[in-house]
Amino acid sequence: MPVDQPRAADNPFEGPDDIDEAALTAVLRTVPLGAAVLAGGAVALLVLGYLIIYLLIFLPRGVVG
Amino acid sequence: MSDRSHETPERWVLHTELLWAFGVGVLVAATISMIVFTALTRNINPPSNVERVDPKTLHLSGEFAEQNLGTVVAADGTITARIIATQFMFVPHCIAVPQGRLLTLRFASPDVIHGILITGTNVNTMVVPGYVAQVHTEFTRTGELLMPCHEYCGLGHSEMWANVQVLPAAEFKPDRNGRVTCAQH
Repeated sequence: MPVDQPRAADNPFEGPDDIDEAALTAVLRTVPLGAAVLAGGAVALLVLGYLIIYLLIFLPRGVVG
Repeated sequence: MSDRSHETPERWVLHTELLWAFGVGVLVAATISMIVFTALTRNINPPSNVERVDPKTLHLSGEFAEQNLGTVVAADGTITARIIATQFMFVPHCIAVPQGRLLTLRFASPDVIHGILITGTNVNTMVVPGYVAQVHTEFTRTGELLMPCHEYCGLGHSEMWANVQVLPAAEFKPDRNGRVTCAQH
């Protein structure tokens, strides 16, 4: 092996890690809820902005077609 | 929150994703329902007229000849305003329209693509040579509104604008030919 190539042990993404199954399971129980709250909040703000513009600006400007 | 300790993490993730997909589905359905509801009950639609007109003979004869431009009230009471958008002006430069009555705006271009909007309203359309751009609308407030060209049409684009004079119904009086012109201030 050439000396300038890193060994597998030097790469943090390869080889065994020290995360046990119980910790992984615990994290997987809470992460989806956090993601849902974050994405839900973002979408709620977007929908709120759309509704405000649609109801308070677009509709009062009158019919068009 | 219900106790999900008996579920595997994969099932819990799947459950969250399905819930999210359901929420997104509800939002999309609600948005489309609002658009369809206002289209059916308040007649709010994208202007979608497709009607050909020869741009080479626009000003010589027919609907967009000079004597037919501006606002006219037909015998049956329908109101139509015909405007030519050309480099770099609108003809006529001012159109008079009534408040609170449905009317039709018809635009044509003899040269390049123009676009119009009327400030403070939902009127907004492209004016493409060879086609008649048509918008049905009703003005809710009286006053002078600006109608600029909003599609870059050449060096004089920024000077291309017209006025829309929205008159109270009592002041909107057609002459014996059914024509209405802007009041001079």
